[in-house]
Amino acid sequence: MSHAPKRYSVNLLRPKKGYMRDEVGTILLVLLGWGLVTFGFQIVLALWAGTPLGRFLTQTYLFNLPLHFFFSGQFLPLWFIILCVFYNYRLDRITEYHSHMRDRSYE
Amino acid sequence: MNDASWTIGIVLFVLVSFLLVGLRQKSRESLEYGFGGRYTGRIGGGAAIASNWMSAASLMGLGGIIYLQGYQALAYVIGWTGGYVLLLVLLASQIRRFGKFTAPDFIAERYGSPVARFLAALISIGISIIYCTAQFKGIGLLFSFMLGVEYNRAVLYGGAAVVSYLVIAGALGVPRNQQMLYFVICVSFIVPLMWLAHHLGYFWILPQFGYGEAISDLARQYQIDFTLPFTSGTLFGWVSLCFTLMVGTAGLPHVLSRFYTVPNVRDARWSVVWGLFFIALIYWSAPAFAVFGRLLEVRTGIRLPPPAAERMADLVVMKTAVLAGMPGWLVGVLAAGALSAAFFTVAGLLMTGAASVSYDLYYCLINPKANESDRMAVAKGSTLVLAGIVLLLALNPWGLIVQITALAFALAGNTLFPLLLLGIWWDRANRYGAIAGMLVGLCCTFAQPLLGGTFPILAQLFPLTSSALCGAPLVILVMIAVSLATKPPPDAMRDFLEHEVHGHLD
Repeated sequence: MSHAPKRYSVNLLRPKKGYMRDEVGTILLVLLGWGLVTFGFQIVLALWAGTPLGRFLTQTYLFNLPLHFFFSGQFLPLWFIILCVFYNYRLDRITEYHSHMRDRSYE
Repeated sequence: MNDASWTIGIVLFVLVSFLLVGLRQKSRESLEYGFGGRYTGRIGGGAAIASNWMSAASLMGLGGIIYLQGYQALAYVIGWTGGYVLLLVLLASQIRRFGKFTAPDFIAERYGSPVARFLAALISIGISIIYCTAQFKGIGLLFSFMLGVEYNRAVLYGGAAVVSYLVIAGALGVPRNQQMLYFVICVSFIVPLMWLAHHLGYFWILPQFGYGEAISDLARQYQIDFTLPFTSGTLFGWVSLCFTLMVGTAGLPHVLSRFYTVPNVRDARWSVVWGLFFIALIYWSAPAFAVFGRLLEVRTGIRLPPPAAERMADLVVMKTAVLAGMPGWLVGVLAAGALSAAFFTVAGLLMTGAASVSYDLYYCLINPKANESDRMAVAKGSTLVLAGIVLLLALNPWGLIVQITALAFALAGNTLFPLLLLGIWWDRANRYGAIAGMLVGLCCTFAQPLLGGTFPILAQLFPLTSSALCGAPLVILVMIAVSLATKPPPDAMRDFLEHEVHGHLD
């Protein structure tokens, strides 16, 4: 035991094996869904304006609203709720799993 | 009684009933009362998160900006809901495990530096002041609408009303009933909206969907297209504003501490879902007011020139109600909801601001020997001083309610958010990085008014309301660079982060 093992250094991009790695995996997945859907849609809307895809987005109607307006104004807040539910559900599972692993009751 | 006195009567009734219900609640459970009222389960916790969030910006400002800008203004709707995703996944439970409940406290502990605490406290107080200014503008507009006096006088009346309400509630020791507040805000916003939709002949049971037809009518009959994307702004403007509001959410002083009123992490996480749902109920409805407002205007033949429209935009929700011939008592209900939201937001922010002055500045930095009553006196005095500063700023508001609020979010997103994020997720971040980060963040936030004239590029990259899209990543880079160039934080803190914050289940 001449050398202590190299210490782990907390870093979001290099999570520690075990609970943290599972947690960070879920976090990155949620962030991906958050960023792509929110900002990706706006970028598509702006860059494809005037093309058939752009016309499809602005001229199709859903609940009497143009698709893009419905998507941003109504669906995105709902999408955030879905993301939060997904995150909580996953985290409940992960916490339960790792609590069993160390034989501790679930808080 | 005429309509105007009905309106005032209802508003008074609602505000007084908050006091009475609070008193009743207090006598029943004086012992159990804790940090933010009793624990009421995940749904109750969600209602508390939502009522804490609702302010004049949500209830008055949002309708106003959508009325002016259409699709471009949806950035506010999305920015103010999507921020909760960031808060939930990146910070909420981790900061809870860290165990510090306010941003200055967390920053001081994590970075181990009184200078960082000083800066963070100043920034928190600044955020509170800016946020309150927007609320005071809303209160002033509502008072001038109800009493028929000019704006400056109305702001003074409103300010006096808020401060006396705070003093009375404080003297009586009334706990804030957050669940009742959310219920009042939600009903008082959505019932008048249903009345409007019904009156105009649209689907009224869910006016959140009913207003779609009104948009089509506006486009067909009057050639006003409300929904065209990126007509009153650019893609960069939309994205930067939305991103700023999202990262700012996580840094707001009064939002973060909400996570500690729920006894366990799991319930705290789930109450965010409910909170977000309750917030979304209001945000799904706000565009409807704007659309109905536009429709009523063109139907009655009013076409306001842009400057006039901009002046009345923040009151568009109330003006629409009056224009539609809504009965006075229902207008009162609408005004009462907006006013209670603004009142309680101001109350909460002034108290957090004052607590920061008395604890972070006075107790921790100036006079560590101060006893409880000294600190209380400082807190009370600074509440009044902060209210005075806010009042002066509100006499000359520099923008719409939502724009003033957005500045507060930009400040939080540029300074506190990167510090919280790296503080939790990168143990190498040290005090020099933190201090440099906050200073750069301050510069980014105020780059447009200070340097925008000399360097037009800065004004473009860091617009006043939306500086965090470029600002927050820049601050993070500066923090990383400065931290790597200086010596790492003490091992005790790095061990604590590894074992307590990220290793509680190892």
